[in-house]
Amino acid sequence: MKYPNHFLDTNKTLYAFVFVIAIFSIIPLFSIIINSTTLNYSYIESSGLFEFFKNSLIILFWVIILTSFFGVFSAYLITFYNFPGVSFFRYALILSFAIPPYIFGYSLSAFFENYGIGYSFFTNFFKLDDANSFLPNLTPITNCILSLSFTLYGYIYLLSKTSFLNQSGNLVDLGKSLGFNSFKKFTNIIIPSARPAIFIGISLVSMETLADFGTVSYFGVSTFTTEIYNSWFIFDDLKTSNFLSLFLLIFVLIFFIIEKISRKNSKFHKLKNDSKNKRLQLNGFSALAAFLFCFSLFFISFIFPFSQMIFWSYKFPEYYKNLNLIRLNLNTFTLILFTSFFIIIFSFIVNFGNRALKSKFLNLISTLSISGYAIPGIIISVSIISFISLMSNLFDVNLKSIFIGTFYGLIIGYFFRFYSISYNSIKSDYLKINYSIDESAYLLGFNKFKTFSEIHWPIMKKNTFFIFVLISIEITKELPITLILRPFNFDTFSTKAYHFASQDLIEAASIPSMFLIFWASILILISFKSFFDDEK
Amino acid sequence: MKKFFEVNDATFSSNKEHNIRKINFNISKRGEIICLLGPSGVGKTTILRTIAGLERLKSGEIWLSGQLISSTNVSINPEKRKIALSFQDNCLFPHKNVLENITVGLQKENTRNFLYSPNEILKIFQLEKIKNKFPHEVSSGEAQRVSLARSLISSPDLLLLDEPFSNIDPILKEELQKSIKDILKKTGTSAIIVTHDPNEAFYLADKCGIIINNSLEQFDTPYNIYHFPGTLNVVNFLKRGTLVNVRILSKTQLKHHYLGIINGKFGCSNLNPFNVGNSVKLLIQPEDLHHDDNSKLKLKIIDRKFRGTNFIYTLTTPKKELIPVLVESHHQHFHEKNEEFGIKTPINIDHLVCFEKN
Amino acid sequence: MPQLVFLIILLSFQNIFTKEINLFTTRHYDSDLQLYEDFTKETGIKVNVISGKSKPLEKRIIEEGKSCIGDLFFLADAGRLVSAEKKGLFIKIKSQSIEQKVPENFRSPYWVGITKRARIIYYNPKETKLDEIKNLSYEDLSSIKFKNSIAIRQSNNVYNQSLVASLIENNGIDFTKQWLKKFVKNFSRNPTGNDRAQILSVAAGESKFAIANTYYYALMASGKKGEDQKKASKKVKPLFPNQLDRGTHMNISGIGILKHSPNKANTKKFIEFLLTPKAQKHIVNNTYEYPMIETVTPSKLIQKMGNNFKQDNSSKVSTYGKWQKEAFKLMRKAGWN
Repeated sequence: MKYPNHFLDTNKTLYAFVFVIAIFSIIPLFSIIINSTTLNYSYIESSGLFEFFKNSLIILFWVIILTSFFGVFSAYLITFYNFPGVSFFRYALILSFAIPPYIFGYSLSAFFENYGIGYSFFTNFFKLDDANSFLPNLTPITNCILSLSFTLYGYIYLLSKTSFLNQSGNLVDLGKSLGFNSFKKFTNIIIPSARPAIFIGISLVSMETLADFGTVSYFGVSTFTTEIYNSWFIFDDLKTSNFLSLFLLIFVLIFFIIEKISRKNSKFHKLKNDSKNKRLQLNGFSALAAFLFCFSLFFISFIFPFSQMIFWSYKFPEYYKNLNLIRLNLNTFTLILFTSFFIIIFSFIVNFGNRALKSKFLNLISTLSISGYAIPGIIISVSIISFISLMSNLFDVNLKSIFIGTFYGLIIGYFFRFYSISYNSIKSDYLKINYSIDESAYLLGFNKFKTFSEIHWPIMKKNTFFIFVLISIEITKELPITLILRPFNFDTFSTKAYHFASQDLIEAASIPSMFLIFWASILILISFKSFFDDEK
Repeated sequence: MKKFFEVNDATFSSNKEHNIRKINFNISKRGEIICLLGPSGVGKTTILRTIAGLERLKSGEIWLSGQLISSTNVSINPEKRKIALSFQDNCLFPHKNVLENITVGLQKENTRNFLYSPNEILKIFQLEKIKNKFPHEVSSGEAQRVSLARSLISSPDLLLLDEPFSNIDPILKEELQKSIKDILKKTGTSAIIVTHDPNEAFYLADKCGIIINNSLEQFDTPYNIYHFPGTLNVVNFLKRGTLVNVRILSKTQLKHHYLGIINGKFGCSNLNPFNVGNSVKLLIQPEDLHHDDNSKLKLKIIDRKFRGTNFIYTLTTPKKELIPVLVESHHQHFHEKNEEFGIKTPINIDHLVCFEKN
Repeated sequence: MPQLVFLIILLSFQNIFTKEINLFTTRHYDSDLQLYEDFTKETGIKVNVISGKSKPLEKRIIEEGKSCIGDLFFLADAGRLVSAEKKGLFIKIKSQSIEQKVPENFRSPYWVGITKRARIIYYNPKETKLDEIKNLSYEDLSSIKFKNSIAIRQSNNVYNQSLVASLIENNGIDFTKQWLKKFVKNFSRNPTGNDRAQILSVAAGESKFAIANTYYYALMASGKKGEDQKKASKKVKPLFPNQLDRGTHMNISGIGILKHSPNKANTKKFIEFLLTPKAQKHIVNNTYEYPMIETVTPSKLIQKMGNNFKQDNSSKVSTYGKWQKEAFKLMRKAGWN
């Protein structure tokens, strides 16, 4: 009896590869579960009896309301109407992705504080005497809500816009024939059929909001994430902070499940683009109103923070002299290149392995890797440090000096945090490729590797660049992991910005922030087309 | 001596629903075409996928050209089998144009000498005009032709076609069926074709297998299946006629309570044991009975179907048994619903197909 | 590919320097980096720096254990120094010259204070006459007459925790508990913003008093935050509390030598350097902190705020570490968010 052994061998190798990568990617999850054995009730009690839970929910609630309003309404205007600037706003509104919420927070508080930028602006230009009392005193929670809403609405904008465009023109015509006015059309036809897409957007926004630390800690609001830090920083109780992280993770998981369900429904709702929807020309007052809405949104979310950064960089040029800009750019560039290289390669291996091997077990552990995105960066760093030191002790090799406080350690940290972005994007790309295409390839004599290199890769390579851009934007914005795991004398734009912001020198932080936003914007600009790929 | 292709006691299953147990069929020599016929959703596709090596065989054995290709512990990888499969859904490579999609099939190792050049294949499948187009630019019928062309160009030992003509418009379909059959015969390529359309199967196949309810109900030549359906399930699936209750009078005579004596031969016996005097079910096919306006045997018309060259009248006996009768459509006059309809007596039926009464 | 390998090798060995020390710090001053360059110029010892948050750095040092190449840990709060000491991160610093220079209450055997920070009160002279509050102490701030008038940042701020810890040390837990209850009622608003925002609140007339570290005021007065903030700082006057008893609450930035430091010989040199008049001068002029050694005077901006006030030299700053957790619990229970 002949056994085709060498093919079983390639399967085994592939299985082993996928297994190792998938297990590796959920180390932070393991670490949290193992280390969250006890909950310090006295701590929880003293921290205002779940005050933080209430704050998290308030912030989440308003961020969802605002981002949905901003995102859905702007997408609606841009998809269904013609007004001055519509083709500009169509692209311009996604630039909000370039601004990290914490940097938006810096600019918000610098503008609205007593004797802040806003004060100077109104006293110098409008000769107002008492601009302090004229400018609103925003509460910390309001500040958080605004910072998060204006930087995160892009998700909902993009997703609902795509969904609107895929909506059948007939559907809208049906509304017309039923005599609906535009408002009724909006509420009764357009919104309900885009609901799954909007849900996906909302759940992404919710995950980001719940895991945000930079903004809430800058404004000093006590939330889930800040309590995770407080329990560690003040009470030296890492176990409780792990427990809270786990709790947060479960919370985020709920949104993840909602997202999954919505995605399933969105497939069901997807309608054929039978008649292209013609954009309605707006005139007069309504055109102005539509323009103003989009303009304000773009202005507040992008121009407002970016211009302040530029203003400060211009006004306080002395802060340039201590910045080694070449080094910073090089650091950011190298990190982006190496990290996305590994992340993308590994996500391809795991995704391809899952597709080819069809193992439910592998699929489950690979799916768990999404947890990385919902675990606060600081906790991820801690789990890396603990893991490396565990491995070193276990095998009696010094892995610590290779991975803690080195470039490689940093890459591992980013890997845990951003692997899920690339894993999920590649996964959804793979779902678009009919499985019988693979089978056809096998039947036509392609082995697994050749199927990948000659069939999958050519189909997916265009989108891989987009995934690279997404990871790069995130790496450019990343702060806590870099702060903890970086080597000596190593800085990125975000650590430099943090460094100055902790000295209470937002003015100096503006230079690295400006570069950060600049690079992120460039990355978005070069991949504009991919952001709108689903529309075709 | 092994046949060219054999499926022995094989159980096919991809999940709970598509589970086909312990079936046997074969292709006795190279060049034979067989069709697997059955309602959709019974797992015909699973059989093809298993033969191609995309699914594991649950039990039994599959042999091709004297080589064991699938059993419970042997499974040669699909790329190593000399088998081509053309899928029901469009699975062309989206980044390659039509010509490239077809020539991809030439890369397979271990294939026999290629009998057609890409240009010839393009011609046969009438794809010359669209050879530079990409899959998203062609119609679904064209895509299916490309897919067929791709499977055929590698000259496989065995070609598996899953509903190959389902997306092709009727005019082109007949033409294409003919050319496929010609090519297969000319090249001596064996094929297993899965379809739910009996006419397609009967036209293309040397032998047909009828798959209903998790098992292979009958595996025989199209003629035998048509005229001597082996089981009630086959009868119901082929929708060949209706069953009426009769009593066996002798080896050549039956008696129906209303139609009276029916003469004929038992072509092949589904009755075991065969006992004179037993009550059985007789299959009455539309062409079995003949119309006669002058006959005294009258039945009431409850439906009339116009089928171009002929009509099919559905009649009813007083006991509400339905009986189909085929009448040439150039028959001078129509009979309307509820009219009485004469049946020619005595009734002679070529071969009597009877089934046990449950 | 060869370039890639080269890059990896380059990145791995970028720290090859024969004479160097590696410093973990939670101080984020650019001026510190300039100071370290001066040290390198003087001694030829390169200073490699990682700045970050205290606990993660602490965790990193602990887990790295023997393979940790860090030599020194520079922390911006006495409580954090105590926490690191308790976890056994440091070895004892034995240096006569250091002991001579640094008052006993600002050091422990394991770490030594390098700079001092005063947490003081600010008032608006237009609204409050100096005579009314001349001899104010922190303890007095719970008085009903300050109802709805005090601006202070949130309880999770470590400087506030150290301040309350010092109250516990000096007055006991029960007193502090009662004090906090009344004190929180005197808040003019829900705590928000950093120390400078509290001072600005007084300048804008929203609050009568603010509690903030001195260097935030100096930062405003220096003009580094723009002309408007400089003007705003002039509307506010600093007040050093507890002048009649123990003196104004002082916190420190301090440094310790890590247990597994591979360059121990150089670490003492570095600490001694930080305590030289020249280095102290550099720090206080840039960060507006108070010098640790007596021979150096604070920056002019700080001197303007008040020279020769009485510093709390009796409370050992190490006690802040002891009471910080308790302080935070009490603050939260009193409703200080």
